[in-house]
Amino acid sequence: MDFEPTTEQRGVLDALTTLLARHAGTARARTGAGQGYDADLDRALREAGFLSLFGAEGAGPLEAELVVEQVARHLGSVTIGANALVGPALGIEADRGPIALVANPAVPIRYGAEAEIALVVQGDEAWYYTLQPDVVTVVESPYGVPLARLAPRDGHSLGPGSSGRMLAWWRVAIAAEAVGLMSGAFALTLTHVRGRKQNDRTIGSYQAVQHRLAECEVLLDGSRWLARQAAWLGAPEEESAAAAALAVATALRLNREVHQVTGAIGLTREYDLHLWTQRLRLVTLELSGLLGQRRALAQARWVHQDV
Amino acid sequence: MEFGWSDDARALRRDIQRFLDSSLPDWWGTPGTGLGSIRHSEYSKEFAPKLAARGWLTPHWPREYGGADGEPWQHFILGEELWLRGEPRGPQYMNVNWIGPAIIAFGTESQRNQYLPRIAGGDVLWCQGFSEPEAGTDLASLRTRADRDGDDYVINGQKVWTSYANVADYCFLLARTGSTEDRHRGISVFLVPMDAPGVEVREIDAILEGHAFHELFFTDVRVPESARLGEENAGWDIVRHALAYERVGIPRYCRAAMQLDQLAEWARENGRLTDPAVQEQMAGGRALCEAARLLVYRVVDERAKNTHVSSNVHVARAAMVLAERAVGDLGLAVMGGYAVASPIDSQYVDSVAAGLAAGTYEVQLNLIARTVLELERR
Repeated sequence: MDFEPTTEQRGVLDALTTLLARHAGTARARTGAGQGYDADLDRALREAGFLSLFGAEGAGPLEAELVVEQVARHLGSVTIGANALVGPALGIEADRGPIALVANPAVPIRYGAEAEIALVVQGDEAWYYTLQPDVVTVVESPYGVPLARLAPRDGHSLGPGSSGRMLAWWRVAIAAEAVGLMSGAFALTLTHVRGRKQNDRTIGSYQAVQHRLAECEVLLDGSRWLARQAAWLGAPEEESAAAAALAVATALRLNREVHQVTGAIGLTREYDLHLWTQRLRLVTLELSGLLGQRRALAQARWVHQDV
Repeated sequence: MEFGWSDDARALRRDIQRFLDSSLPDWWGTPGTGLGSIRHSEYSKEFAPKLAARGWLTPHWPREYGGADGEPWQHFILGEELWLRGEPRGPQYMNVNWIGPAIIAFGTESQRNQYLPRIAGGDVLWCQGFSEPEAGTDLASLRTRADRDGDDYVINGQKVWTSYANVADYCFLLARTGSTEDRHRGISVFLVPMDAPGVEVREIDAILEGHAFHELFFTDVRVPESARLGEENAGWDIVRHALAYERVGIPRYCRAAMQLDQLAEWARENGRLTDPAVQEQMAGGRALCEAARLLVYRVVDERAKNTHVSSNVHVARAAMVLAERAVGDLGLAVMGGYAVASPIDSQYVDSVAAGLAAGTYEVQLNLIARTVLELERR
């Protein structure tokens, strides 16, 4: 057990922070690149090796997870969870293009129109599809992230049991992205409540506000470590579901609280908070939302195994 | 950053489990015999010496005081396994977690010689005399006085909510030696024999199943100066130091997670485990237990590295309360009337107490707000 980043992990994160300062952030999230698929960021991440950490010598899934957290926190507009965690776990080479993850074709997919590959859960198997434009139906998105429905065809199976692996890593990716997005939204909110005064007091000095944010901190911190643990352990079914279940539950709570204490300005597009919270809401919906994550955890803990 | 156990840690856990399988008595776990009951406390004087004989009672203490200079992880694994079995060390978990270490850190050589061998041997019980009727969360308002009289101190006052006072040999007592205006700067620690003339214990009738707590009255209790731990009026710092890790001294998430598994077994036997609503509630509790476990481990990791006590201890404590509450709530929600007089019902009451002990949940949130989130104190 060691909760301190290694020198190598610090190095990865420092280099990533430098890269994200150039290719991500709130200003970029408002530009065309940030609101569509950010091909420049995608290229920079690939060239620097950040999408190859999962199976790299001297690194691994935990380092990949840390990258997903940070890219999400800095509002990187790329398929980071799918490409850094899920694809590599299924043996998809890192030089392939953006990956869309599909469990239910009826549901709009993040970056569905921009993805080159779809990984689709079909029963016991994950299927690999190379996407053509005619299988894409773009859906209008208020989330700051493009959406589309996909009806892919002519794919191939990644083998029996591959869907379990895909779902487990997808849950880790959901947890990691949610943690990153929550961290960004929470940091902005703390800055706001430290400075905003009402009745001659900062609103962050009111105990009613402090307790709500302190509980968010506890839940966010717990979500962060569950996500990292799940990645380090190699995404076991139970630990992955636990990470996603807590992260999604926390996201629903934190999203509400940060908007509540920010007030009406937080509902405007002028203010940055929505850049995180809108994306966060989308992430919480994947794989049947909170109830889906919790049912997966219960199945893994008490139904698939003997108690 | 990594989340695995060493081979030594895994082997230790297995050894402790085997030892517990073979050593706990037949009556263990029967109603009314849990932590805080007289039978449980008395049994700890049989059990703890067996742990001591194996080097498992004070492995984290320095060798010169009966320990093995072990890592905090070793002691913590012991704590997890023992707590899962109902904490057979009884009140002696406090002895080894913080009372002994406080005496090591602040005691005179004479005090160390007097108190530590019995603690390391496992045959002495202590209670803590902190809270008072008018000084709970606001401990610095305590009024129990210890006034100098020649070479002695004379103690007068009242403590309340004291667990184990009915069986304790000694009380780790906080008393005021300065003025009330001195607040936390006018408090000293005394190591008071519970059989000293003038000490009276009254049990409080309470709803905690089997666990008694008490009022303690001190009327002209005379103790020598040598009963004072540390400098006069320096008691606040001693307690802060001693209790720095005690907020996570009890791995409460362990038992909550175990009771969740037992609840799942009940649900399976009663055809409820396939109910999606039941699964969703239980998974929510499970995720909170796991989060609490990792947040506590982070604090143990800090301790193992001898880094300063960080605010993470408050985050971990709050996470444990959330986990216990969730399991307490959902146990009743899932079992309905079958929960009557069951361990699940006890878990609910314990989860209520969890938010009060070792600094209330609200105090933890206040500390997180100020020290982690850096929000302004009014």
